[in-house]
Amino acid sequence: MISFLIKRLAALVPTVLLVITLSFFLLHMIPGDPAAVLLGPNATPEQIAALKHSLGLDRPVFVQYVKYMARVLRGDFGNSIYFQQPVLKVVLSHAEASFLLATLGLMVVILLGVSSGVTSAVLSRTAYDKVFLTFALLGASIPSFWLGLLLILLFGVRLRVFPTSGFVSVLSTGNLSNLRYLVLPALTLGAVNSAVVARVTRSAMLEVLHQQYIDVARAKGLNSANVILKHALRNAAIPIVTVLGFVFAGMMATAVVTENVFAIPGIGRLVVQSVLRRDYPMIQGIMVLVAFLYLVVNLATDIVYTILDPRIRLT
Amino acid sequence: MIVLIAIITSFLRILNPYDVNPKMRLLPPSCHNLFGTDQFGRDILARTLAGSRVSLIVGMSVALLSLVFGIPLGLVSGYFRPASLFLMRLIDALMAFPSILLALALMAILGKPSLVNVIITVGIVYIPRVARLVYSATVVLRETTFVEAARAIGSSTFRILWRHILVNLISIVIVQSTFTFAFAVLEAAALDFLGVGIPPEIPSWGGMINENRLYLTIAPWTVVFPGFFLLLTVLSLNLLGDNLRDFLDPYLRRLV
Repeated sequence: MISFLIKRLAALVPTVLLVITLSFFLLHMIPGDPAAVLLGPNATPEQIAALKHSLGLDRPVFVQYVKYMARVLRGDFGNSIYFQQPVLKVVLSHAEASFLLATLGLMVVILLGVSSGVTSAVLSRTAYDKVFLTFALLGASIPSFWLGLLLILLFGVRLRVFPTSGFVSVLSTGNLSNLRYLVLPALTLGAVNSAVVARVTRSAMLEVLHQQYIDVARAKGLNSANVILKHALRNAAIPIVTVLGFVFAGMMATAVVTENVFAIPGIGRLVVQSVLRRDYPMIQGIMVLVAFLYLVVNLATDIVYTILDPRIRLT
Repeated sequence: MIVLIAIITSFLRILNPYDVNPKMRLLPPSCHNLFGTDQFGRDILARTLAGSRVSLIVGMSVALLSLVFGIPLGLVSGYFRPASLFLMRLIDALMAFPSILLALALMAILGKPSLVNVIITVGIVYIPRVARLVYSATVVLRETTFVEAARAIGSSTFRILWRHILVNLISIVIVQSTFTFAFAVLEAAALDFLGVGIPPEIPSWGGMINENRLYLTIAPWTVVFPGFFLLLTVLSLNLLGDNLRDFLDPYLRRLV
C-alpha cells in the first residue's frame, strides 16, 4: 500500500509541475506589459517600474520562472493586487462556503444519482425507467445558472421556504441552521451533476444484474433488497466511483457558476471577480490550488478502488 | 429546428432585437410581444431568436477548432511514443483545470470580451478532450494487424495515419464533436452569464439571463425564455449525439 502511494505520488509530480508552469505563463501571455495592464491606464511610468520590480518582472524570464516555481512549491502564491493580502489567505477565507457547498452538492448527487440509477436498473424497461432516462437527459442539458434562477423563483420567491441568496458562516456562528442558505445552491449543483452519475449507475447495475451470481443469490432465497444492495451494488461500485471522481471536477466547474447565481462568497465567486478585477496573482493561485485539489481527488478515487475491490492489485 | 430558426431570423429583419422602446418596459408576454419585453422595452422573442445565432456560431466553431487541433495532436502522440510522453502530460495538466476555470483564466489573458475570444477560449478548453480521445483510440489501433500489414508493405507513416488509423476512429470523433458542440454552447453561455463572455449589447442567451436576473421576480419571462431555448438546443444536440453513437458501430466504443 505504501509503495503504491509513493509511486502514485511520484507520477503526480510532472503533472503538478506542468500545472504550475502553465499558471506561470498565464501572466506572461497577457499582450503588452503585464505591469501596465495590472495598474490600469492611469499609472505613471514610475509606478509601473516599481511594480515590475516588486513582481520581479524586470529579470530574465528564466530567472522569474525558477523563482516562481520555488515560491509556489513552498506554498507562497504572492499577494493579491486587489486585497493586498497573501493569495493563500484570501483563498482560505473563501474556502468554507465552497467546501460546504461541494459537500452538500455531493450528497445530493449520491442520493439522487445513485438511488435513481439503481431503481431504474431494477425497474428497467418500465414506464419509470423511461421517465428516468428523460430526466437524466434533461439534467445533462440544463444550464445550471438557469436552473438556479428557476429554483430561486419557485422556492425563494413564490413559496418563500429558502433564502434566495447569500451565505452566513456556519463555522464562526456555530449555527447549523445557517446551512439553509445552501439548500437551493446544493440542489442546483447536485441536480445538474447527478444526471451523469445516474446514467452510469444504471448501466453498471444492468450489467451486474445479468451475472450468474445474482441468480445464485436469488436462488438461495435472499430477499431482493439484500441482493440488490449487497451483491449487485458492491460489484457495480467501480464505475460509479470513477464517475463520482469525474463528477467532482464537474462540480467544481458548476460551483463557479452556482456561487455567482446565489451570491455565495466562495472560491468560484472569488475567481470570477478576480477575472473582472484583473487580479492575476489571485487567478494564478486559484488555478494551481484547484488543479492540485483535482489531482488529489483523482488519487483518492484510485485508493477507493482498492478498498472496494481487493482484486485490483496495488501496482 | 434551432438551426432553421437561426438561419430564418438572420434573413427576416422584422423583429429587431436592438429596438429600444422605453414605453414598453418589462411587459408580460402578450400577442404584441409573444415573449414579453425587457427593461429597455426590447422584444424578448426577437432577442432570443437572435441569441440562437451566437450560440450556434460559437458551438460550431469550437467543435471545428477542437477537431482541427485535437485530431493531429491525438494521432501524433498516440502513434509516436516519445511524443506522447510530453504531449499527454501537457494535456493532463490542461485537463486538471475545471473547464470553466480554464476558460475564465484564458478570457482574463485575452482581455476584452468578444465573440472571437470566446471561441478561442472555449476551443482551447475542448482541444485536449478531443486529443485525449483520439490518443487512446490510436494507441489501440496502432497495434492492430492491419496497421502492421500496412507498415510491412512499406506504407508511409502519413499514409498509415491518414488512411488506416484516422478512417477507423472517425466515427467516435464525430459522435464526440456533437457533444463538444453541446458543451461549448453551455460553456459559452456560462461565460456570458458570468459577464466575461460576449459583450452584453450582442444578444446571447447567457448574457440575456445575466442582464435580466435583476428583474427575475417582477419579469420572470425575461429569464425563462432564453434559458428554455438554451436547454432545447443543448438537449437536441445531446439527443443527436446519443443516437449517432447507437447508430455507428458499437465495436468502436470498446476501443476507448
